[in-house]
Amino acid sequence: MSSALVEDTFLADDLLRQLMSVGEVDLLVGIISCSDTQTNSHALHAIEGSFQRHFTRQRAVIVNVCGGDKNESDAAAATGLTNMAEKNARFGQPVALRTIQRVTADFSVPPTPGTALRTILASADLLRARACAVVSPGTNLTPGWIANLLTPVYREKFDFVAPLYTRHKFQGLLARNLLYPMSRAVFGCKIRELYSDEWGFSGRLAALCLNQDVWHEEPIQTRPEAWMAISAISSDLRCCQTYLGQKMQSTATSSTDIVEVFRQAVGNLFWLMESRQAAWLEGERSEPAETFGPEHDLTAEPIDLNRHRIFEMFRSGVTELEPMLSSILDPETHAEIKNIVSLEESEFRFRSDLWVRTLYDFAASYHHAVISRDHLVQALAPLYRGMTFSFLVEHSQSSPDELEAVSESLCVEFERQKPYLTEKWKANVEVKS
Amino acid sequence: MRQAILQGLEQAYTNLVHMIADFLPRFLVMLIIIVLGLLVAFLLKYILRGVLSLTKLDRVSEEAGASRILRSAHLPSMTVLLSRSVFWVTWLGFILVGLSVLGVAGLQGQISRLLQFLPEVFVGILILFLGLMTANFLSRAALLAGVNSGHPSPKILSWSIRFIIWILAISMTLEELGVARQTVISAFSIIFGALMLGLAIAFGLGGQDLARKSLERYLGGTKKEKDKEPLPL
Repeated sequence: MSSALVEDTFLADDLLRQLMSVGEVDLLVGIISCSDTQTNSHALHAIEGSFQRHFTRQRAVIVNVCGGDKNESDAAAATGLTNMAEKNARFGQPVALRTIQRVTADFSVPPTPGTALRTILASADLLRARACAVVSPGTNLTPGWIANLLTPVYREKFDFVAPLYTRHKFQGLLARNLLYPMSRAVFGCKIRELYSDEWGFSGRLAALCLNQDVWHEEPIQTRPEAWMAISAISSDLRCCQTYLGQKMQSTATSSTDIVEVFRQAVGNLFWLMESRQAAWLEGERSEPAETFGPEHDLTAEPIDLNRHRIFEMFRSGVTELEPMLSSILDPETHAEIKNIVSLEESEFRFRSDLWVRTLYDFAASYHHAVISRDHLVQALAPLYRGMTFSFLVEHSQSSPDELEAVSESLCVEFERQKPYLTEKWKANVEVKS
Repeated sequence: MRQAILQGLEQAYTNLVHMIADFLPRFLVMLIIIVLGLLVAFLLKYILRGVLSLTKLDRVSEEAGASRILRSAHLPSMTVLLSRSVFWVTWLGFILVGLSVLGVAGLQGQISRLLQFLPEVFVGILILFLGLMTANFLSRAALLAGVNSGHPSPKILSWSIRFIIWILAISMTLEELGVARQTVISAFSIIFGALMLGLAIAFGLGGQDLARKSLERYLGGTKKEKDKEPLPL
């Protein structure tokens, strides 16, 4: 480990001491621990299991970033390590030939995702890790997931690996109808899950991201993963997607949670468009990203949703926020939205071209800061509810393949209307006086 | 007798000449100060306008909702408003200094009182402006929170917040200016107290069920009405 790197780093002395005793590694997995010790323990088992089974000859380290009780996390990890090695040896399964190193970055309070990622990137940089992954203990991690995230980087020389999951067909509609098609049209890369809890990256990308002066930015502190992917794309590094499995999480959530997710993910995407405008304004077509495993896998079991309430929240939202929407949307777009609001629930449809125009108007207004940017993102939530309602009604009987075709046509619509976004974005909006 | 009248007239003429000879240089000094003030005020105005354009104040003001308040009051953009204010304050200051050079009896006291009052006027305007801006921002935040959580009347919530902050800002401004200080404080206390009492009574009597449901929900008695939506991510 170079002494210059050590001197320049922001890492705490205790963590530095631990990292220096590890030396250089091939693989690094960073885990951002939560308050539940059992969940953390399960995730640590999965990581160790992956190293034991899939990377027996590689030098590996787990960086556990936590803001709780260090001793508990350590104890859980130590138990996991011993048990896993013993179990594998007993059943004749491969056992790692090298000791799996484990370091803990302990913060006095739980760190933000941005701070945790920065710590993991700095650790990866200091240890000269070749392949890294960040995982969240909240999901149903398995050793296979970790291997799927690390292998494309370690063996195929990719720089960013996004996950793909098996989902319910109505789960992840924000990603399906907004984040994926819009990021694909704008940044030109077909990565479906830009906003996820797990992803893989190379040491090269870690160093590149670490040196960027963005760590104080609010969007990076709350959701740094998409920024890493966009950094890789705009630096012409290689990106891919890998199938992990079914993500075990509730298929429905409350209105309050949706707004919070909206503020984080959509606010982050708009911020990325603002901060990376030089890279995307001149771009044309989107490039496919190599995919390992199936590109989409949907389930369709019954789901408990209150469609009527979603529609009512859309309708009341558009009515109550009319003055705000009139300052954000193009007059023509706003007039069309007011027209569809007056339709009966049974007749209501949110056309894809109108949806795309609405989003592009919001993105341009975010750029021109016509109102507080946080308020602007929140004002989009009722319109998203309208689109969600329309999607739920239209596709209640659609098969996965039909949904995939609809998703693809929406992406094409986003790409077709990109000149509209560029024109609105570049428009010299005078501050009226 | 005639001699005395002639002497008086001569004396009056001499006094007038002396007065004019005494006044004219002071008048010229006043004019020079006012013209100099005009030049300095113009210079400051253009320097400030350039600096504020560089710092993109108009964009910040638009984002914070201040520009909307200015537009609704038919005022120009923040940059123009600030630079014009600096121009007028600077020139007014020079004019007052120029007038004091004349040494007109009684005017000196008025000028010094006006000069002492100017900072209070400025602080008052600043308080009012910040109050209106805060009211605008917070009422919009409340409106969005109400709409996105499915609150039955988000506009009432938003307007209540705006109204309370307006009352507070106006009271603080009038108190700063020293206008009927006691009356303003009493009026504010009465209006604010009445508003709170009115809300309490309205919530207690008109919204008994709502109050009970809210308390039950808060204390974990019953679950909120089902508002399940698909997981967005």
